[in-house]
Formats: sequence, structure tokens, C-alpha cells
Amino acid sequence: MAATVFLSMIVLLLLGFPMMIPLIVGAFIGFVTMFGGLGQMETMIQQMMAGIRPASLIAVPMFIFAADIMTRGHSASRLIDLVMAFVGHVKGGLAVSTAAACTMFGAVSGSTQATVVAIGSPLRPRMLKAGYKDSFVLALIVNASDIAFLIPPSIGMIIYGVVSNTSIAELFIAGIGPGLLILVLFSIYSYIYAVRNKVPAEPKASWRERGRAFVSALWPLGFPVIIIGGIYGGIFSPTEAAAACVLYALLLEVVIFRSISLMDVYSTAKSTGLITAVVFILVGAGAAFSWVISFAQVPQAMLGAIGITEMGPIGVLFVISIAFFVGCMFVDPIVVILVLVPIFAPVVDGVGLDPVLVGTIITLQVAIGSATPPFGCDIFTAIAVFKRPYVEVIRGTPPFIFILLCVAVALIFFPQIALFARDLAFR
Amino acid sequence: MSDDPDLSTHDSSLPGVLGIIDSTISRIESFLLAAGVLLMALNTVSNVVGRFVFQSSLFFSEELNRILIILITFAGISYAARHGRHIRMSAIYDALPSTARKPLMVGIAFITAIFMFGLCYYSIGYIETQASRGRVLPALQIPVWITLVWVPVGFFMTGMQYTLTAIKNLTSRDIYLSTSVLEGYEETEQEI
Amino acid sequence: ETWKYAFEEAMEEVQGKYAQKFKEVIEANSDHEIQLFPFGTLGESADIMEQAQAGILQFVDQSPGFTGSLIPEAQVFFVPYLLPTDQEQLARFYKNSKAVNEMFPELYAEQGLELLTMFPEGEVAMTTKEPVESCADLEGVKFRVMTNPLLVESYKAFGATPTPLPWGEVYGSLQTNIIQGQENPTFFLYSTKLYEVTDYITYAGHNNFTTAVMANKDFFDGLSEEDQQLVERAADEAYDYIVEYQKGLADSELKKIQEAKPEITVTTLSEEQRKCFKDAAADVEAKFIEMTGDSGKEILDQLKADLQAAAE
Ligand code: NA
Ligand code: NA
Repeated sequence: MAATVFLSMIVLLLLGFPMMIPLIVGAFIGFVTMFGGLGQMETMIQQMMAGIRPASLIAVPMFIFAADIMTRGHSASRLIDLVMAFVGHVKGGLAVSTAAACTMFGAVSGSTQATVVAIGSPLRPRMLKAGYKDSFVLALIVNASDIAFLIPPSIGMIIYGVVSNTSIAELFIAGIGPGLLILVLFSIYSYIYAVRNKVPAEPKASWRERGRAFVSALWPLGFPVIIIGGIYGGIFSPTEAAAACVLYALLLEVVIFRSISLMDVYSTAKSTGLITAVVFILVGAGAAFSWVISFAQVPQAMLGAIGITEMGPIGVLFVISIAFFVGCMFVDPIVVILVLVPIFAPVVDGVGLDPVLVGTIITLQVAIGSATPPFGCDIFTAIAVFKRPYVEVIRGTPPFIFILLCVAVALIFFPQIALFARDLAFR
Repeated sequence: MSDDPDLSTHDSSLPGVLGIIDSTISRIESFLLAAGVLLMALNTVSNVVGRFVFQSSLFFSEELNRILIILITFAGISYAARHGRHIRMSAIYDALPSTARKPLMVGIAFITAIFMFGLCYYSIGYIETQASRGRVLPALQIPVWITLVWVPVGFFMTGMQYTLTAIKNLTSRDIYLSTSVLEGYEETEQEI
Repeated sequence: ETWKYAFEEAMEEVQGKYAQKFKEVIEANSDHEIQLFPFGTLGESADIMEQAQAGILQFVDQSPGFTGSLIPEAQVFFVPYLLPTDQEQLARFYKNSKAVNEMFPELYAEQGLELLTMFPEGEVAMTTKEPVESCADLEGVKFRVMTNPLLVESYKAFGATPTPLPWGEVYGSLQTNIIQGQENPTFFLYSTKLYEVTDYITYAGHNNFTTAVMANKDFFDGLSEEDQQLVERAADEAYDYIVEYQKGLADSELKKIQEAKPEITVTTLSEEQRKCFKDAAADVEAKFIEMTGDSGKEILDQLKADLQAAAE
């Protein structure tokens, strides 16, 4: 059954159906075959609701809203001017800054989707103006946001820790090494890209200009203070920080800068709602689809078929990597972790793998998967926010996914990338 | 995320009374979208203020956000269908000649509409089941089914939009992505 | 036949252990097969409950605290100091209680569920950033509780600032100090690593976590008499097993916590220190009766009588 379902989904996708239809049809076929008819369709509705319900998802519309207000007003450009005053003269400097900003923002917000919109929407126009190709820019934003999953706090690691009974503190520390490694590799690639594509560098800013840029960015610098200070200072959860950013953005742009009118606020809220709906209906449909996979015990059947219990540790790690990577190409990372981790637990235990290493690998894989076609949710978000065609959003991703997969393989053969910091701190 | 001029118009392409109804629904949907997002921000921030200033959390804050996200999603999907904004992968579709694209678009719109009406039907059933069981939200103590009324409405309106899109394509020379949006988006930044 | 059984915890936590034993007994004594679905694999607690009501799942484990939105009387298990902390007394209580074995099954039946068993999961401990020796120490402490009116009421009465948070945000919020406390049974503190982000574990004896296993009623009624007896026998055997399994479980899990984090401080409050908590319990009981009316009061009175009997 599984093969038929996947095949029909891919065909519908390629024909150009709205993306929700392949997911809905996949779930629908599952329900009809499992329950011999339409008798249990209400559970499909239940699971679509369950998919959009998690409290952590609320951060997504809030960051979309805040970023949109900042971009329409002055805040975003003043912040970017400040960054440019320091790195504009470096080859690939803007790209590296974007990657670094995604890492930093992702680290605190913990959400890859929120990172795509909050960093991507202000920085993308500037990168285009600087001469980067859109396919590169979109791929950089979508993939750099993956790092958000590896740098603490990471909701993926918390869920893994709870399900697999692993120290979350150790997982958090283990994620930093691979996270920074990816940032470094993305930066190198960005530099090479800038050199090879002859992206022009700007003239070096004087200290006087830098000072002026700093002064003009004083108010907008409140955003990083709210996000980083607020979350680490114990004032906000990431979701609440997102809502606080909305409020601060309104204060700056409507009251202080007077750059946008209340009517603009209304239409921004409307477009935020629209983007949210377009992405969330896919998240909901994906949840219904993954319920079918879980209920039918498809993963158990597949793992049994490949004989995972006969494999050694390296083999098991490869199977885990592939399973999570493929899983997240179709459904939400959290759901994949919840469904697959218990299935792998006995095998991981059996071959004596370090659960912290496994957790780091899994977190990396779900991050990669969420940025990988066909159904990676970061791709949906980028399409909805930047209003670019699907193909354009994914065109530039192969080099990034290649780098990420290299890191994933390296992690299997050199677990010290993750475990070095952990051993230093805990052993 | 530039301005959305395509979202600011509510003029229906339908004739007469139908057009007026359509425009009115569109206005209601866009109002709900905006109000939902603004309320969500207000609700979330109020919770922080309550916790710090008044030493008391809003117990219903999370539940209210859950209600709002359902409202936003289901008011939004029909609004998105109206403006041709649902995400799709159109690479192969775009490569086809217009003689093939037209029947394909009609098929896509009809099949999508059928699924939307189906989900509308089953979501009504789901609401009835919820109502019969009498489950309430723990903090707000209101029946769960009330929070779901937007679901069938959203599916129905989306189904209507796709039905109208199919009809529009059958009755006009050009190819339409939605009732109001012509295809041909590779050149512009506006469409998905 | 293949039967499906979902529960609210991970496979190696208490509900999972119960489910595994239940499966073992059924499969050893019949041709039926049982598939287990741990926490999150088919949705949240409310989702799996609905799926059991719809007959998609044959068995479900949902704690009465969550069932409160469906069966308000089930929240009686949140009235502080109602249940004793003595494990053996509790085990006798659940086995023989008229409220648990006669009154609750009727309420569950109205929701299309056959209540098979209720069992304890251990004393609930508070974990906090600062020491708690009296209600005064909870003053101004933002304390995470499940979204349940009675729990909120309890912690208000204890003097804390009850702060409902979704489960996924608890660890992070303790780490960044958005909240400074939360409560859960000891085994859960260990398995979910909450001790990593708190420094004090306090036993005030205010509650024991209770959970309940149910079958879909139509499914159960449709079984042959032989199968019905087998299901009841499996529920009983799993009950005896889980009571035995939990003997000393809290102690051994606490020891593991102390090994992993030697600097953690564990306190069991004295009778005297508990006084203000016990005084607060009366408010919560009143609130429970206000919320559930006569039917709630009837259950509460019966529970008290049953507990009296189990104490003797
Ligand atoms: Na993070
Ligand atoms: Na990502």
C-alpha cells in the first residue's frame, strides 16, 4: 500500500495540483484502505487540527508579522545598513552575515520556519541588490535556518531527549559542534560563490560611517535585545518573544518612525494571515498523512524488511540517518521524531550506540529533511513568504544539501564532532 | 515581502448579485485574517504582562491561540484560493502547451474542489461528534466544537473557489489560476 | 485479530510497562496480537481518547486529569491530600474501591468506554529552583501545571503563581527561568530529565498520579465471553505487575537522579511543614464540588469511604 500512496502523491504533485492535495490524497487513500471505506474520515479531520495546534507553531505567524512590519518600515534596512557597514567590503560578506544571522536567530527562536521569515525577508532584497542570484539566496536562507535545530535551545532535541530518555543538557552541548561546522562550511561556500560569480563588494566604510549607521540602528537594535535578552533572561518563551517583537515593531514603525500607517498594519496582518494559512494547511494535511503511516506501522514493516537487527553500529546509524531524512521530506520533524525514535530505540540499545550521538544525528537529519523537497516545511514557508515558484526555491539547494549530507556522514565516522564538547563538559 | 496590491482588491469577477456576495465574503475573510493575527499578538503579549506585572498568567492564553490559529488557517485557505496563492509545483505544468494546460487546470480545480467539499462534509461530522460528547476546553470551559466551526466553512468556501475557477476556465479563452488571477506568473514577483 | 493500544507515556515509562505486560498476557493466551502506540505517535492525549471512542483504537490509557474535560468528576484525583502516599494502601484502594470499580465505570460508559482499571503512578514531587519548606517559599514562584482548573486552584491555594505551559516548553522554560517549578511523579522527573534544570525535589505528599486504562465499549461488548474474560484477566495481571514493578521504583529513580546530579537537594516535608498545604486542600475540595455538583460530591464521599476502608 505504501508504495501506491507515495507514487500517487508524487504524480499529483508533479501535475501541478495545490500542494495540499497530494498530502490529503495520501492520507485519504490510507484511511479508505485501512478502514475499508469512509467510516473513519473524522479522524483525518482530527489529525489535521492536531497538526496546526502545537503552541510552538504560534511563533511562526508572529515572526512573519514582525518581520513584515520591520521590512515595510525602517527597522530592517537600518539593521542591515549597520551590518553592511562592517562586512560590506568583504567578498561574500553579506552571504556570510545572512548565514550567521540565521544561526543566531535560529539559536534563540528554536524554529527553522520562523528563521526563514525573520532573517530571510529583510535580507533577501539586499542580497539580490548586491548581485546574488535569487536561487542562491533562497537556498542559503532555507538551509542556514537548519542550524537553528542544532544550536540550543532546540525543540527537536528536547522531544528526542524525552522520548529516548537522554540527557537534554548533553544533547544541547553536542549540537553546537556540528551546528558551527555547518555555519563554517556554508560561509566558505558563500565566499567561493561570491568570488566565482563576481558578486561585487562594496567600498569599505569609514569608522565615521560605521558610527552613523550604529546611531541610526539604535532603536532597531532593540529587536535582538528583546529576542536574545528576553529569552535567555527568562522573560519570554520563544513564542512570546515573537509576539513582543510584533509589539515593538509596531511601536517603532507606527509611533516613533511614523513610517507606516494603521491601514498598513491592517493589510500586513492580513498578508501574514494568508501566508500562515497557506503553510499551516500543509502542516495539517501532513499530520493526517503521518498519522496514517504511524497507525499502519509502515516504519516497523520497512525496518523489519531490511533486517536492521542484523546490522552493526555504522549500518544502524546509516539506516537511522536515511529514515529520518526521508521522513522529514514528507512530514513535520517533531512528528517524525515521536514516531521513529521509539521504533529505533531497541536497536540503538542493542548495538550500544551513544544516545547523545544518535540524537545529534537525528536532529541534523530532520533539519536537512525539512529543507529538502518535495514536502519540506521550510520550503513551503519560503514559497509562501517570498512568493517565488517552487522550482526557483529549490533550484539552488543541491550544494547546501550536499554540504549538510557530508557533515551527516562525517558525524557517523567522526562522532567527536558532536561528542568532544559534551565529553569536555560532562565526563 | 513587498506590498500586496493583488490582495487589496475585493472586486469579484462574478456577475450581479453573485459578485456582491463574493466580494462581501472576501472582505469578511480578509477581516478575519487580520483580526486573528492581531488578536494572537495581543493575547500572547498580555500573557507575558500578566505574568510579570500582575503575577498571574492568563490560563486561557494557549487555548485562545489554538482557536485563533484554526480561524486564521480556515479563513485563509479560501482567501488564498481566491487569489491563486496556494503552493503548487508548476514546473511540468508550465512546460505544457496551453492546449494541454487548460484541460489540466480544469481537472485540477474540479478535483481539488471535490476534496474540499468532502473534507467540509466530514468536518461537520467531526463537529457533531464533538458536540455530542460534550468535551470542553479545560481552561476556558467552552465546548470544543465551537472552536471548530470555521473548519467546514473554510473548506466549503475553498471548494466553491475552485469550482468557480474550473467554470471560469471552461467559459473563457484564457487560463485562470483562480477566479481573479490569470496564469503567467514567471515574470512577476507577485504570484506563487 | 490485531488490537491497537495507545498511551500517554514513552514505552519504558510506567504506562508503557503496564501496556507491555497487558500485551504479553493477551498474546500468550490467545491468537490476538496487540500493537502498542506510545506518547505522541497517534497524537496527544485528547486525540487518542477520541480515537478510542471512535473505535479506531481498542484500548487507551488516559489519566483522569486529562479526562476532566470529558468527565468532570474524574478530576477528583487532583484534590490534594485525598490519596495516601503509602503504596500498599493505595494498591488495596484501587483494587477494592467502590468509586473506582462501580461508579466511574458508569461515567466512562456514557462516553462509550469500558473502564478496565485505574492504577497509581507514584507520588507527585515538586521540583524547583529554590528550596520549598512551606507555602511561604512558593510565594511568587511561577509554577508550571497542566491546564486543569483544579491544579491551578491547588497551586494558587499553596501560594504559587500557577503557570500553564504546554509540555514541550517546560524544560526550556525552567532552563531560562520563565518558570521556577513544576510537579510530576519521580520516575517522570528522571526520564524527562527535568532534574537537569531544577535544584530541589520536594515531597509534600499532596498527590499521587493516577491513570486509567479503557477499552472501546462497543468493541468490548462485542467480544466473546472468553475474550472479555481474557481482557479483564490481562488488565488484572498487568495491575498486579505494575504495583510490584513500582515498589521501590520511586526510590531507585531518585537514586539515579542523585547519581546524575549529586548537588540536587531532596526533601520530604514533615507533618508540621505540610500543614499549610493541607489547609489549602480544603479550598480545592470546595472548588471541585462547585465544579461537579452532586455527582462529584457523591464520588468524593465514596472515595473517602473507600480510602478509609483501605487504610484499615
Ligand atoms: Na535552536
Ligand atoms: Na530548515
